[in-house]
Amino acid sequence: MSQTPDHEGPILEIDSLSISFFTRLREIPAVMDFSVEVQPGEAVGLVGESGCGKSTVALGVMQDLGVNGRIVGGSIKFKGRDLGKMSAEELRDIRGNEIAMIYQEPMASLNPAMKIGKQLMEVPMIHEKVSEKEAYQRALEVVRDVKLPDPERILKSFPHQLSGGQQQRIVIAMALMANPSLLILDEPTTALDVTVEAAVVELVKELGRKYGTSMLFISHNLGLVLETCDRICVMYSGEAVETGSIKDVFDKMQHPYTQALFRSIPLPGADKNARPLVAIPGNFPLPHERPPGCNFGPRCDYFQDGRCNQDIAIPMEPITGDDRHFTRCLRYKEIDWHAPIKAAKQTAATEKGDVILKMDNLKKYYEVAANALFGASGATKVVKANETLTFEARESETLAIVGESGCGKSTFAKVLMGLETATDGQILLDNKNIEHIPIQSRDTKTVADIQMVFQNPFDTLNPSMTVGRQIMRALEIFGHGKSDDDRHKEMMRLLDLVKLPREFADRMPRQLSGGQKQRVGIARAFAGGARIVVADEPVSALDVSVQAAVTDLLMEIQREKKTTLLFISHDLSIVRYLSDRVMVMYLGHVVELGTTEQVFSPPYHPYTEALLSAVPIADTHVEKKHIVLEGDVPSAMNPPPGCPFQTRCRWKSQVPGNLCETEVPPVRMLAEGHQVKCHLADDILARMEPVIKIAAE
Amino acid sequence: MNKDALSWGAIFGQMIIQFAPVLILLVITFALSLAFKRRLGLYGKLFDSTVGMIGLALVLFWVFTAFFAGVFDMVATHDPLDQSALMKKALPGTPYSKLIGTPDPNAGAYYLLGGDNLGRDVFSRVIAGSIKVILIAPFATVFAFMVGITLGLPAGYYGGRFDTVLSFLSNLVLAFPVILLFYLLVTPEIVQTGIPVYMAAVLFIFPLVFLVILWNSRYHTQPMKRNVYLAITLVIGIWVYLGIAWDADPLGLIRFPPNVLVVFVSVVFVNSPTVFRIVRGLVLDIKTRDYVAAAQTRGEGPWYIMLWEILPNARGPLLVDFCLRIGYTTILLGTLGFFGLGLESESPDWGKMIIDGRRLLSANILHIAIPPAIALLTLVLGLNFLADGLREESLRD
Repeated sequence: MSQTPDHEGPILEIDSLSISFFTRLREIPAVMDFSVEVQPGEAVGLVGESGCGKSTVALGVMQDLGVNGRIVGGSIKFKGRDLGKMSAEELRDIRGNEIAMIYQEPMASLNPAMKIGKQLMEVPMIHEKVSEKEAYQRALEVVRDVKLPDPERILKSFPHQLSGGQQQRIVIAMALMANPSLLILDEPTTALDVTVEAAVVELVKELGRKYGTSMLFISHNLGLVLETCDRICVMYSGEAVETGSIKDVFDKMQHPYTQALFRSIPLPGADKNARPLVAIPGNFPLPHERPPGCNFGPRCDYFQDGRCNQDIAIPMEPITGDDRHFTRCLRYKEIDWHAPIKAAKQTAATEKGDVILKMDNLKKYYEVAANALFGASGATKVVKANETLTFEARESETLAIVGESGCGKSTFAKVLMGLETATDGQILLDNKNIEHIPIQSRDTKTVADIQMVFQNPFDTLNPSMTVGRQIMRALEIFGHGKSDDDRHKEMMRLLDLVKLPREFADRMPRQLSGGQKQRVGIARAFAGGARIVVADEPVSALDVSVQAAVTDLLMEIQREKKTTLLFISHDLSIVRYLSDRVMVMYLGHVVELGTTEQVFSPPYHPYTEALLSAVPIADTHVEKKHIVLEGDVPSAMNPPPGCPFQTRCRWKSQVPGNLCETEVPPVRMLAEGHQVKCHLADDILARMEPVIKIAAE
Repeated sequence: MNKDALSWGAIFGQMIIQFAPVLILLVITFALSLAFKRRLGLYGKLFDSTVGMIGLALVLFWVFTAFFAGVFDMVATHDPLDQSALMKKALPGTPYSKLIGTPDPNAGAYYLLGGDNLGRDVFSRVIAGSIKVILIAPFATVFAFMVGITLGLPAGYYGGRFDTVLSFLSNLVLAFPVILLFYLLVTPEIVQTGIPVYMAAVLFIFPLVFLVILWNSRYHTQPMKRNVYLAITLVIGIWVYLGIAWDADPLGLIRFPPNVLVVFVSVVFVNSPTVFRIVRGLVLDIKTRDYVAAAQTRGEGPWYIMLWEILPNARGPLLVDFCLRIGYTTILLGTLGFFGLGLESESPDWGKMIIDGRRLLSANILHIAIPPAIALLTLVLGLNFLADGLREESLRD
């Protein structure tokens, strides 16, 4: 089964495609009048918020829309052949052979019951009918190509024996086995840690160059698209609103939505006080409640009544002078795209108050039974989740805790909340020790003082209780008010505080959007007048346009209530935007701690340096130094000896002897309030260059 | 013997007339439900699935039949225990007459589905049998759920040794042959030792414990409200508990016939371990959610989290299992009757009727065994369809 012979012209040509899903109640148009083309060797990014139809486009290309979905208009041509007119058999030949797809969740794309080697070998054996021996050679080759260590061993292992990053590499390898002409990547790195993400993105780019594969890269992350793609297509509510080359769209955007999107993400230079983010007002329209005329109309700053809401389809218009740059806006010629951002509300920086929370040499070890079945008798292993945590937090201060999964930030939160007790060291809240008191034994005041905002908005509220009830319950528990009436009033006040309409009190969580749920979560955390709020990645699961609004809300409440915010995150852009001080953690150790200014400029801890380089930034003016970490984060069960970061550190050779491998580095003060855990000599640290440079405009 | 036997058409016509109130109520229920289905939540969604609707219709048919027969003494044509020597093994549609004594003036003119080997009306016995099934099966299942939930929640939530011990015990019960267990429980010697009563005493305390914990965990911040709820629950609960389990109701109002108690206890005992395992599994999944962590971080007690944060979110799978389990229980009751282990031998019991009729099947007398078998089949089928419909609809949007 050979591949389609060479074809002149675009690899993929989508022409005014419309896809609808049919439910019992109505037809739901998911994609409308969508056109894009992918030239040979080109990478096109498809960007938009969740629900905008970007994944539906990908499924449409694969002709895999399920029973409810149907293409209702337009065509998808692959190498000149219309995919919609092909038989199931022809499609089967193309899928996996000429078009390959990589999904978000690597574990879900691999068969857990089959060895990696077998799964990889299947591809050429099915599509090209090659012998087993040849297939094995090919598998070995691609595994080497995706830079996995010890390919023979990898081929013999099962998916669960590999880490998330390694699994995603295998999925990429599998996609490449057939040497496809088009690769569709649907949020391929969302489930991975930043440093691992950076390495995978690097790999995809390199392989794309090597094999000349065209790519359709679906992502919600503008920074990632900037790094990987040549062209970009911005989608909003089922339509493409702007397409063009990366440079044109990023620097000379011609659609209000694109502009609003860029203004709502924290780019270097944004500051919570002087230059706050501009959130996009309103909510994403539901597919069956789209407004007449321009879909973005109701949320647009440039909306003109009678024109933008006329009930006619708005066509994509080419921008003269640019290469294939289109926009779907009636007013793009009238808008002054270079006008400065309307002066958003500027606020003075808040005064930091007294120290209210103090950690001193906090340690949390877990004992894990080595043998699950006969736990009591078998040898136990000690997992050091937190190692000598020392810091203090002041009133109305934002302290960011940064690190990848497994770095111990969640354990730290648990110990602080009292869900676990500390192994050693102390936590002082108002100079009272609380590290050994589990939450059941804490008095109501202490519990109400330290509250938490959770990461996943879809999980943070009990799905079978009304929003009002859940807030009322928190008020009850914190002993607020004397009667149900008192509490009801207070609950309404809290809804006002988080800027939700009061009618929401009677809604069920499923009727709320992600951002609204997160607001309810914030209201619930502040029900007892919390003084310390631990926010565990509160915005990472939200869409960019909503992120800004929720972040602003947190900042505003903080200003008003003088709350101490412990902001746990792996997203350094947002950390730089809103925190006063930053603490970087790796494998349970605090590797760097200092003010935001100190941490984000050299000298860095080598891990901070790598993290900074890994975070994609959606700004064409930013030049980043390229640092890719090898391998994965070591398991906390089996940490490396000496410095926890020594296995991936690129500066290790600069330290004399094998100091890094034998001794845990001491905490060193580099400047007032800036500490680093590293063996590197002062002069080497001083020579470090900044990772991020903003090129002159 | 002045009348002719009815033809099959006439028999069906007569049966439909007898079932008229049931059918009318069924039609009204369906018309109302269909009209307002968008406002009725999960129940309303059931009307979007054909399977679910068929299931609901079959189940409601028997529920309404039991209701009309039990409360208004309608539907049935004869006293299910009334014997007539002339009507022994009479064919369907035979006119009703009596050799000894005067015929009941209110009774119907025909044995619609014939007479059994003691000359009792098969049709009326099937109808009367539905009352027993509809009363015992759901309640026994409710008790089994109470026991399973009360034990399964902490087992899943705390895990550890408590979980290991309980899971081991439940496996032990599940591994024990059910029929053998029943034989043991109904043996007079065992009954005399009081084991069934003690078992009842243990099993029936669970609903009471369940409710007390439920109210306490919810309202412990408002002692006034809690005390009122607790007082009501305890007074009614202990009264019912004394009546049912110990047959010692101080007012003498609530009684539970001993043989019904044995059946009840056995059914609860056999079903609760399965419920326990389902609940435990669901808790293991749900306890990792953030809203559970949120409850923990605001200092909620473990029982509040289990009963108010976890249990309501496990309701989908539990509801489906509940329907299926009523079906199993119905079959179990039939099986018990079949082996003569169920209720007293006289009482109309579908399983008992099937075994009585079975002996005559070889003599080509089918009408005694087939009607109760069809009744059993339609009810269980209805419950399974209903469970399917619920599962399908709760999975959608």
